[in-house]
This record gives sequence, structure tokens and C-alpha cells, in this order.
Amino acid sequence: MTHTANKPMVLVRSKNVILLHWFNAICWFLLTPTGLGIIRGDDLRIIPAGWSEFMQNLVGGNANLVLIHSVLGIVWTAVIAVFTLLYLNSVVVPFLKDVLSITPKSIWDDAIYMVKVIVGLLSPNKSEQVLPAYGRYNGAQRLLGTMIIVCSIAIAVTGLAMFFGPGIGLPPEIFRWSLVLHALCVGVVWIGLVPHIYFGVIEEPEALEGMKSGYLEEDFIKHHKAKWYEELKQQGEI
Amino acid sequence: MANQKLVMLADTERCVNCKGCEVACRAEWNTPLGFNRNWVIETISISDDGVPHMYLISGRCQHCDDAPCVTNCPSGASYQRDDGVVLVDREFCSGCEMCVQVCPYDARFKNPLDDKISKCTFCQPRIDAGEQPACVEVCFNRALIFGDINDPNSEVSQLLKQEKWKKLVTDKVDTKPNHYYSESTYLDASVLPQEKEPTIEAEVISKVVNPVVSVGFSGMLGLFGAAGIMKIIKRREEVSNDSHSE
Repeated sequence: MTHTANKPMVLVRSKNVILLHWFNAICWFLLTPTGLGIIRGDDLRIIPAGWSEFMQNLVGGNANLVLIHSVLGIVWTAVIAVFTLLYLNSVVVPFLKDVLSITPKSIWDDAIYMVKVIVGLLSPNKSEQVLPAYGRYNGAQRLLGTMIIVCSIAIAVTGLAMFFGPGIGLPPEIFRWSLVLHALCVGVVWIGLVPHIYFGVIEEPEALEGMKSGYLEEDFIKHHKAKWYEELKQQGEI
Repeated sequence: MANQKLVMLADTERCVNCKGCEVACRAEWNTPLGFNRNWVIETISISDDGVPHMYLISGRCQHCDDAPCVTNCPSGASYQRDDGVVLVDREFCSGCEMCVQVCPYDARFKNPLDDKISKCTFCQPRIDAGEQPACVEVCFNRALIFGDINDPNSEVSQLLKQEKWKKLVTDKVDTKPNHYYSESTYLDASVLPQEKEPTIEAEVISKVVNPVVSVGFSGMLGLFGAAGIMKIIKRREEVSNDSHSE
């Protein structure tokens, strides 16, 4: 435990996890625009054709755009795979246990909680939310985490299939369905990233600070994650 | 040359089905057996007096201005140049065959020699060097004529003015091809374009994935944009209340 500006802080993240998060974020902000630039066909693209032309002009042609997207995608996949192997027991498994422990009751509770939060955000009256006693991750975070884990695996596998598939003689159906799944998963993750970025930047800047320094305010944990607060107390972290 | 619009004319009354165009194309492009980048199809009509008439129709990629092969290519490998020639960039072609499925003229195929998509390119290297496509060059009876429709002095421009021509289109399928045929040609179902459905994967992308993602992402942006505005309003009220209480 440490203190910043008289507010007791708790170290909740290691530097490696923070670095991986920002590496992942940068990759998403580079891979998405380059990927959108590659898909040019009028019947297949999701954004105006001008974007494709802009990106291709920016990097000197379609060849460079495909190369940048592919190399970056492979680097992204490789770094996350190596991180997973290196920190399997200390970071990855505990994270998966937290995020993927889903029961019908937890799904119901999470859904109710998310609706209440959204209604609260849009309500003209300032109202203090009575938050359920969550563990480290609340319902929305668990949903986003599950989406990101499942979709990232699918994105990596389908990306590799599209990049290497034609060269090793995979059937064209594999390429085509990979494209479908790749596009769908990227879209689904971005749908989840909108509230993720909103809460991190606007609603809960303490959380953003936690993803920069690794420290969270004790009061923030106590208010938002009561169960986790109790766990940290029992572990002597607080 | 700037502002070129390259077209092919097939004078079907001059064609004698010698197959010279097919052989020249095969030799030029090393097309494997069992596949063709161009072909000649016979159609027969029976006149009112019961006399059969045979027509010889030289076919190939029609280099359409509304080319479904281009709009269904995920990587931009299929594209149309400013002069109207539809090409396949072999470097980016994955051989996914999404374009093959939608061509109304069945003018594309996956080349088993390299697993890339092949089709008539109007012999792009030759025409870029100022030569004629191989099929045109060997057509001894001048049934095939190629040139720039935007050049009023070109042979194709003169012929299009002097004679009547038609395109291989139907009421249902008109992809604005740049290939013309003699007006007198009898066209039956074997040469007319067929309505083609995109691959199931292309359908899923255009009718499911893109709408779901667009609506979901826009909805989220709208929702949290509104939340951000509400936060600003609440914050202003807080500041205002604080200053009043002071």
C-alpha cells in the first residue's frame, strides 16, 4: 500500500500487464484502420470507399497496406501468445477464472446492473448508484473480457488462416469463412470498446490511472468492488 | 493514354469459328487445359420460313463498368482501370473465388497452376505496349475489333457509328459491359448473362455482419455520447450550485 495526495493507494497491476494492455490497445488502433482499408469491394466493405483510398495513399499502395496489417497482426498474435505462456499461472489463469466464472444468476445480476448503470448515466438527476458487491471485475467488465478473449482468439486464428492459407493450399471456403469471422469479431470487440473507453476516460478516471501506474485508490475499490476490497483486506494488501 | 475507354467489338457475321482466338489466347497466357479465357459459342435460330441460322459468338470477360467481380472482391485484387479494363492483381488475389461466383458471364476461373483467379485482360501487357490483344491480332477475318471508344478516329468508334451493335445484357442483368456484338446476332440463354448470387459468405458479411456491427457500434456511440453530454450538464449544474452556495 502507498499514499498519493493523502489518498491510500493499492498496487493492483504489474508493469507487464500494463505494458500488454497498452500494446494491445495500440495494435487495435493500428490494425483496425489498416484492415478496413484492405476490404475494398463495394458489396463487402463497412465504411466508405474513400477510407480505403486514403489508407492506401497514406502507406504507398495496397501492397504496403496488406503488408503492414499482416506483419502487425502476426506480431500482435505472437506477443500475446508469448505473454500467455510466460505468465500463465501468475496472471492469465487468475484473470480467466475471474472473467469466465459465469452462472445464470451472475448473467441476470450483471444484466440488471448494466441496465441500471446506463439508466443512471442518462438520467438528468445526479444519483449515486448503489453498486452490487462485485469482485475484481463487474458484470460489464466480465462481459467485455469474455468477448475480447473469445474474439481475439478467433481474430488471430482467422487472420493467420487468411494470410498463410492460400499459400499452403487451404480450400477457398476456409479463407471466405475466416473473413466473415474476422470481420464479425473485430466489430463485436469494437462495440464493447466504446463503453470500455468511455468509462476509463470519462466516468472513472481512477480506473485509467490504475492502468497507467498500476495503483488504484482504496476508496475507489471499496465503492466499486466491495468483494474485492474484502479480499484485499484479508490478504493484507489494504 | 488519358481518357481512354477500351472496348471490344465482335462482328459475329465475320466469325467462322476457326478457334484462332482461343488458340492465340491459350498460347499467350499458358492457360491450362480444361479452362478458357475466351471461347466461341454457336447459337441457332429458326426463321419464320423454317430455315435454321447459326451464329458464332465470341465470348470473354465483358469488362463491365458495374462489375460484380470487383464489388465482391474482399482485398481489392479485382479492380477496373480508368480505361475500363478489369484486371486481377495477382499479388493480392487469395483465390477465394468470391468473384468467380458472381460473374454473370462465367468468365473467371481459378487457375490450378497458381491458385489465382484468371480471366481475359484484353492482353493487358500487349495493349499497354500499344499492341492489339492476341485474339484480335490472329483473327484473320477481322471478326474481333479492339480500340478506344473515346477516340473518334478509332476503328471501333467508326464502326459503332456506322453499324448497329448490342451488348450481352438482359432486363434483369445489366452490368454495363464494354463488349459489343453485331445487332443481327441471335442471343440465347447460353450466351446471355445469368443472374448470380454472391457466395453465402459474402451474403453473411453484407447482410448480417456489416449491419449488426454498424447498428451496434453506432448505438454504442450514440448511447455513450449522450451519457457524456449528460455528464457535462450535471457537472455544470454542480459547479453552478457550488458557486451559488458560496
